[in-house]
Amino acid sequence: MNQAVISCLHANLPAVEAVLKDIELQGITNITCLGDLVGYGPQPNEVIELIRDKKIPTCQGCWDEDVVDGLDACDCSYPSQLAEKRGHFAHQWTTDKLTKENKDYLANLPYSIRKDKCLFVHGSPNSQHEYLLPDMDAFAALERVENARAEILFCGHTHQPYIRELADGSIAVKIKNAAPKDIQEKEIQLPMRRIVNAGSVGEPRHGGTKATYVVHNEVTNEVKIREVEYDLELTCKAIIDAGLPPIFAWRLKNGFEFAEQAEDASHVCER
Amino acid sequence: MIERWALVSGLKGDLDTYELIQKDLKKTPGNITLFVLGDMIGPEKNCNRLLHRLINPKSNDLQPWCIYGWWEEQILLESGYRGDQRAEALRINKGEELVKSLTNAVDKSFLDWIAALQFGFVELDCGLIHGSSKDIGENLTLDTPPLTLLDRLTRLQVNRLFTARSKQQFHLELTEGTVNSEVEDLNGNRKKEQKVPQKAVIGIGAGKNYTLYDVGTDNTQFLQAGYKSEKRIKGFGML
Repeated sequence: MNQAVISCLHANLPAVEAVLKDIELQGITNITCLGDLVGYGPQPNEVIELIRDKKIPTCQGCWDEDVVDGLDACDCSYPSQLAEKRGHFAHQWTTDKLTKENKDYLANLPYSIRKDKCLFVHGSPNSQHEYLLPDMDAFAALERVENARAEILFCGHTHQPYIRELADGSIAVKIKNAAPKDIQEKEIQLPMRRIVNAGSVGEPRHGGTKATYVVHNEVTNEVKIREVEYDLELTCKAIIDAGLPPIFAWRLKNGFEFAEQAEDASHVCER
Repeated sequence: MIERWALVSGLKGDLDTYELIQKDLKKTPGNITLFVLGDMIGPEKNCNRLLHRLINPKSNDLQPWCIYGWWEEQILLESGYRGDQRAEALRINKGEELVKSLTNAVDKSFLDWIAALQFGFVELDCGLIHGSSKDIGENLTLDTPPLTLLDRLTRLQVNRLFTARSKQQFHLELTEGTVNSEVEDLNGNRKKEQKVPQKAVIGIGAGKNYTLYDVGTDNTQFLQAGYKSEKRIKGFGML
């Protein structure tokens, strides 16, 4: 049986509709969303209402959390003051636009969803703001999955879809400075674990313009990254019409979103 | 000159133990730096005399370098130094009486000094903290999974992590290991083998139990204040 995992919708209604259509065409009814329904994009209420109408189980993303808490999105993930200023503007714009009902919905989203061996989070099991980038330290990545007691960790937040398998691991330890009878050396075998990043529906950062999500076969454990075209022009026009920073439209249209990446893969927001 | 670190924690207001440790260290050869890894305070006894001594060392005392620990975090929470948060975990788990005992044990005039203490020190390639690099309340012990220990070392980007929270004394080396990583994304597949660099986690003990670390040889000695062990003489050979 297949399940679809979507993330980082970012108030981009045409992209969300296109992805949900693509999922429907494959006959998949089991969908999980990893949050960031809002932020940057021009249709926050419409996207929330679509997800609510379809009763798609959803985790709270960092934007969802920040809009609810009345806090600005994590400053430390912005690579420049200009990017931070734009982010704050989008945050305020989104906060003003959202209905109370939709804010309440975001406020009540869970941090994580667990289904058997799968754990679904926005950033990492530690924080909605932590980036699990594809090339981060392999042991640290494995620790995130293992300490969350999952076999497969589904995450988003980076906007880059990937599947990472961590296997054949071991760590040897030795107790030093103990009584001779207590001195121990042992090798601990590490379990095979996977991290699956669903990418982003509404604001891709993989160098292209297509929305991305993943499909996981729960029987074979196979994971496929899906790319979906959507009406980009419609979203770009809505961004301009809404008075949001035109650069949000420009980067969607050009598939550029690298400016918003965190420089430090292991960085966790201190807030 | 041999460079050694004396690592102390969990004094919880016990000036007598601190004086015993100072006395021990005066007899210990080498260049000694004294680190106090938190829990200088606690709810059991009045902590003012110890805090005064740490802030104003006697002329022949080794200068203590202090960081804050779990009990310091609780009093800072309860005293409004962490915004709207209060020491709720302590209150729920141990009751209102203990929270009161803690706040009564420390004069308010010391709170600014406590609030100015750091979370930890990084000296050479070593991290000196109270709990772990993830949480001041985290216990790292011999039973902690090595993967977790490695993560806590990696977070601080150090090769040795000195921790106090568990109160245990141990020296655990991560000697070797590997993990294979395979990433598939829209650009294709890439494989990488990552190895474990040699690292260690050292539990320094608490109260009378403290640790001496020889920076040059990477050897630890687990000591008890006021008690000269044979092992200690053999270990450093100069007493």
